[in-house]
Amino acid sequence: MNDTSQARHRPGWLNALGLLAIGLFAVGAYLGLVVSPPDVGQGELIRIMYAHVSAAWVCFLAVIVAAVYSMLYLWRGRPVDDVRAVAHAELALLFAGLTIVGGMTYSKPTLNTFWTWDAKLTLTALLFALLVGYFVVRGLVDDRERRGRVSAVVAIVVLASLPFNWMAAEWFRTLHPAKSLDPGGVTMEASFLRILIFNAVVAGLIYLWLALERTRLGRLEAGIEERRERVTGSREAIDV
Amino acid sequence: MSELAPIIVIAGKDLRQELRSRAVTVATLFFAAITLLVLAFAVSGNGSLLADIAPGALWTALAFAGVISAAQSYAAEGEENSFEQLLLYPVPRATLYLGKLLANWLYLAVLAVLMLPVTAVLFGLPVAGSWPLLLLTLLLGTLGFALIATFYAALTANLRARESLLPVLMFPVVVPILLASVRATSALTQLGNRELAADWLQLLVGFDLVYLVTCTAIFRFTVEE
Repeated sequence: MNDTSQARHRPGWLNALGLLAIGLFAVGAYLGLVVSPPDVGQGELIRIMYAHVSAAWVCFLAVIVAAVYSMLYLWRGRPVDDVRAVAHAELALLFAGLTIVGGMTYSKPTLNTFWTWDAKLTLTALLFALLVGYFVVRGLVDDRERRGRVSAVVAIVVLASLPFNWMAAEWFRTLHPAKSLDPGGVTMEASFLRILIFNAVVAGLIYLWLALERTRLGRLEAGIEERRERVTGSREAIDV
Repeated sequence: MSELAPIIVIAGKDLRQELRSRAVTVATLFFAAITLLVLAFAVSGNGSLLADIAPGALWTALAFAGVISAAQSYAAEGEENSFEQLLLYPVPRATLYLGKLLANWLYLAVLAVLMLPVTAVLFGLPVAGSWPLLLLTLLLGTLGFALIATFYAALTANLRARESLLPVLMFPVVVPILLASVRATSALTQLGNRELAADWLQLLVGFDLVYLVTCTAIFRFTVEE
């Protein structure tokens, strides 16, 4: 299979990308923890915002990319698109978890509670549950083609629920603050905004690096699975 | 009109089948009623709390009953492999979905209309004031629920552990629909705030449209064999 022979040799630029992402992450942490001035309202707590908001944005991006690869899989039927969709869905789950943990860290000192059944928080918890469901489905289907198709369908439904999460802070004005970045206007002060954008881009770079690594790994796994099926002629032997 | 006819035929088939056997009706009607009774009993003695949780109780009972009815609508097809023959009909797969959806929706809407007075009596919920909007809430809420339930029931119909998998997969998706339905119901009954209810109803219409388009568009991938 052409896919696996390409994946077997680890490209050098992947290491370079990883090193760049980690290096820039250190710069972003320095900007957020040292350079950034304390906020008038929240004081030093503004520093959590850089990590929390970056994680949330990357999570949304990963859900969209996973769904796009899922659509491509349904459309073209190429196994590599399923491998890519899984890689991005895993990172969506990871960053959804980070968003929730970061949000709880942020809200305990600012809102004096770790968790509240605010619409935005509830929908983010549900997004996490939806992504877990994606992997539950994958674990239950043995046939590769069917597993890819069924989980792709689930990924697209997850995408369909995303706009409600995105708009939740706007529609339900409760505890979670409204979006401060909009095409219409920016309400955040420029010094904070620049550091947030930098950190978000770095988070995106880390995401890209992990996604590429995970895709490479997934292709190797798919290659092994396919080879075993060819040698043994059955699926049962794989679990032994 | 010609596209609409097969949808009505499929929905009619499902509803006729149900009218003859009444297997689902008996199960869901009693299950929904018992859920309401258990919840009412759990907080009985506290009159104001009883009325407070009434909208949530009503929609919880409907959601539990809805999972049963949606799963059953494919289980019945599976018994004699009749779903494969349904797939052979010269209509798009989306038509099958819309037909099943229509049957499930009508069934759930009737169940909801039956459960509303039961809730009103058991929980002391004032429903008389704004029943046209309340009826609309029931219709939109059950539509959203049926959209997801019908879709996921088809997806899980052939999977291992489908009985436990269906609620696990569909509840995170329907929770926003239930949330909006509960809030709209309580806005109409307890708060008497029609503007607030209208906001939630708008959101329900949004949910219903997004999932109607999405689920109809990708339904064919859930049943392809």
